[in-house]
Amino acid sequence: MSADPIYLLQLTLNGVTLGLLYALIAVGLALIFGVLEIINFAHGELLMVGAYAMAFALPAFGLLYWPALVVAVLASAIAGWVLYELFLSKLKLGELERSILITLALSIIILHVVQLLFTASPRIVDTQFGFEGVEIGAIRITWTRVIGAGSAAVAFALLFLVLKFTQFGRAMRAIAQNREAALMVGIRPKTVARNAVVLATALCGLAGAALAPVHLVQPGMGQFLIFKAFALVIIGGLGNIPGAIAAAILLGLVESWVGGFFQIVWQEAAVFVLMMGVLFLRPDGLFKRGAMRVG
Amino acid sequence: MIVVAGAVLAGILPLVTESNYFIGIGVSACIFTVAAVALNLVYGFTGLLSFAQLGFWGIGGYATSLTVMTFGGNFWMGLVWAAVINAAVALAVGYPTLRTNRHAFVIVTLAFALLVTLIARDWVDLTRGPLGIPGLPAPSLFGFAFRTTASFYYIAWAFAVLAIGFLYALCSSRIGRTLIAIKQNEPLVRAQGISPMPYKLAAFAIGAAVTGMAGGIYAFHLKIIDPLFLDFYYMQAFLIMVIIGGAGSFWGVVAAGIVMSALPEVLRFSNELRMIIYGVILLVAMLAMPDGVAGWMRERKLMRMRAALR
Amino acid sequence: MDARAEADADAGGTAVSAVLEVRDLHKAYAGVRAVDGVSFDVQAGSITGLIGPNGSGKSTTIDGISGFQPLDSGTVRLGGADITGMASHRIARAGLMRTFQTVRVYERLSLRENLMIAAQQFDAAGWIDELLRTKRYRGAIAAGEARARELTRMIGLMKYWEAPTGILSYGQKKLVALAAALMPKPRIVVLDEPVAGVNPTRIREVEEVLQTLNAAGETFLIVEHNVEFITTLCHHVIVLDQGRKLSEGSAEAIHADARVLEAYLGVAPELEEAEA
Repeated sequence: MSADPIYLLQLTLNGVTLGLLYALIAVGLALIFGVLEIINFAHGELLMVGAYAMAFALPAFGLLYWPALVVAVLASAIAGWVLYELFLSKLKLGELERSILITLALSIIILHVVQLLFTASPRIVDTQFGFEGVEIGAIRITWTRVIGAGSAAVAFALLFLVLKFTQFGRAMRAIAQNREAALMVGIRPKTVARNAVVLATALCGLAGAALAPVHLVQPGMGQFLIFKAFALVIIGGLGNIPGAIAAAILLGLVESWVGGFFQIVWQEAAVFVLMMGVLFLRPDGLFKRGAMRVG
Repeated sequence: MIVVAGAVLAGILPLVTESNYFIGIGVSACIFTVAAVALNLVYGFTGLLSFAQLGFWGIGGYATSLTVMTFGGNFWMGLVWAAVINAAVALAVGYPTLRTNRHAFVIVTLAFALLVTLIARDWVDLTRGPLGIPGLPAPSLFGFAFRTTASFYYIAWAFAVLAIGFLYALCSSRIGRTLIAIKQNEPLVRAQGISPMPYKLAAFAIGAAVTGMAGGIYAFHLKIIDPLFLDFYYMQAFLIMVIIGGAGSFWGVVAAGIVMSALPEVLRFSNELRMIIYGVILLVAMLAMPDGVAGWMRERKLMRMRAALR
Repeated sequence: MDARAEADADAGGTAVSAVLEVRDLHKAYAGVRAVDGVSFDVQAGSITGLIGPNGSGKSTTIDGISGFQPLDSGTVRLGGADITGMASHRIARAGLMRTFQTVRVYERLSLRENLMIAAQQFDAAGWIDELLRTKRYRGAIAAGEARARELTRMIGLMKYWEAPTGILSYGQKKLVALAAALMPKPRIVVLDEPVAGVNPTRIREVEEVLQTLNAAGETFLIVEHNVEFITTLCHHVIVLDQGRKLSEGSAEAIHADARVLEAYLGVAPELEEAEA
């Protein structure tokens, strides 16, 4: 088990794929934190909703990957929109604890309603690609992983363009950077907040849909992933999008490497150790906290 | 007066009923109430929303069980270890985290709780993994073994009286008042020569130690410990007790703790349905009366006061 | 010892009575020099005013002195001891108490509790005394309560003694904050805009309270926009403009100083907005 280069490369590629999916979740959290200054505990359940939508849409479309993916993203985005209109829009700025407890309550409700309806047993999701994959030399990665990572990368590129070049994205950044100034130039905070939540949950739905074929789909899947995403948001600096992406890919790599050589308990502990280390050395996260930056 | 009467009344529960089922609910009520009051110290008084309580509950359960089953100690020593380990862990986790901000604090404490769950499940050499450690023996004191539920109830009851008494002495002292002051206006506290950090750390560590002992006693009530002991259900139960009782209201949380531990048992729902109901209660409470029943009553008192003074 | 000798030399022999000595403070935010070499003394037993238009660096100066903002350079001495760069709570323990521009009180605690907290760091009772309610603890509480009652009577709010301060008016809260700062009998009290936002008819009351306390020996450093309030109250006035000391002198002299008027020109003195 010495450092076989092929094995290492395989671990690295797996790590990047995993990291990109983590990043989809973490970026959504960072976006919501940047604009609304709240922590969304129901984020993991929205991901789970996306994964279930994928699991049900795939058979309906005859295992076709792309239409099912669109359905899943839409399902999560709509859930996010409802979440915002019914609950998050009622919060005042600075009500952090209240936002956490409300979204926590929603997460409990969604999780257990899904469990009540579809039981806790995990589902295996099949796609048109099955277990086929690409082979580069001795390395093999399944198509579903490649497509998942690819869609995440495309989503980030799009997100970057949206935030940088559209009115919609600029308003979001303006609010995150200087709320008062943004209000003075006539940006409507409620609209921007709604857009941010819908965008974040759409990314989260994409992550759920991409994960569904590579992971087991079960009600608790979101809760487990969200904890890592929270840690990533801390490591990357709260509200910092590139920071969250960098931290996510870093974590994917670390987990994959650690998992390749050590006991599984260390793989799971890696994220916590990383987070505590960062907090000790740099209380504001690896990348400076505060303004939401994209470039 | 009411409090003393209530404590004595609770003490004679096993004399009133022979039903192990009801006495068992009594044991849970005592232990959960203490855990809720400890969370109230950390969240209600000091304003630190800590999900780490679940981790401390689990560490306490495992520390007590392992002291007895692996390291050859007795139950009482196990409880001492549960308190000591938790206080030390709380200081180690609390110090770097409290330096940052309240957002980071919430997230780190949550991550910590999940880390403890992972360790319980995956560090098989120590915790025996998902199978857990069954057959925890009945504690004994001076040759008397607390074998029946009724006798075990007295351990839980005595612990509840002592722990709640201690926390009340703390919360009603200047220390408790300082914690409230820190929650309300930290810069003012600093301007008055008080360093908030030792107070926050102390509240966090004391909350951890008390929660750990509660967890240790609960594990021996269940007579088994496994990763399910760290089910998020417990955290939610403690949180709901604090929120319904009114964060920062000492006796409000004690009352809510007793009522809320008895209620789901009496209603006997399926696990999923119970969680959904808990979620809905939490949601409605946060939307309608974020300061709990006690907070709502305090608001009314304030309104009367304003009217009287103007 | 060195610090004391140096301080004596700096202030030309009068330093024995200078309770607060501020030397050459600098603080810049993102390249903008908010405070650019400010020095002044506050004499024991005086009421000293610190005035200046918006953005002149008053708030940064007192935040720097009280440890609420790190300074880039400069020294601050309190009673001869160097307190530069100390944590805010240590500066308070050393005897410099302050209030805040936007009033800060513990809204959910009673007036009595608000005042008692302000003094608790300064008595001999430790946490063991507190938990065991020892004689020392009870003694400290009794002494604190006596002081709190005296101050509450002075600010005329005795009927709110057990009421949560959240029900008080803005001006009343400012008085509570003032009384809290006085609780431990500090060497100096720094007041950040004590009458900003206070009903004009009540400003007289604040003046009287401060004069009474000053007659009893309290030292004050007051930051204010309200020039009239400053000139009636202060023995000595320091004028800041654009982060520098523009002039300094008795209230009458400052009132007549053309440069001060110029600095204020176009800025209404009673404008009570937060500084940028």
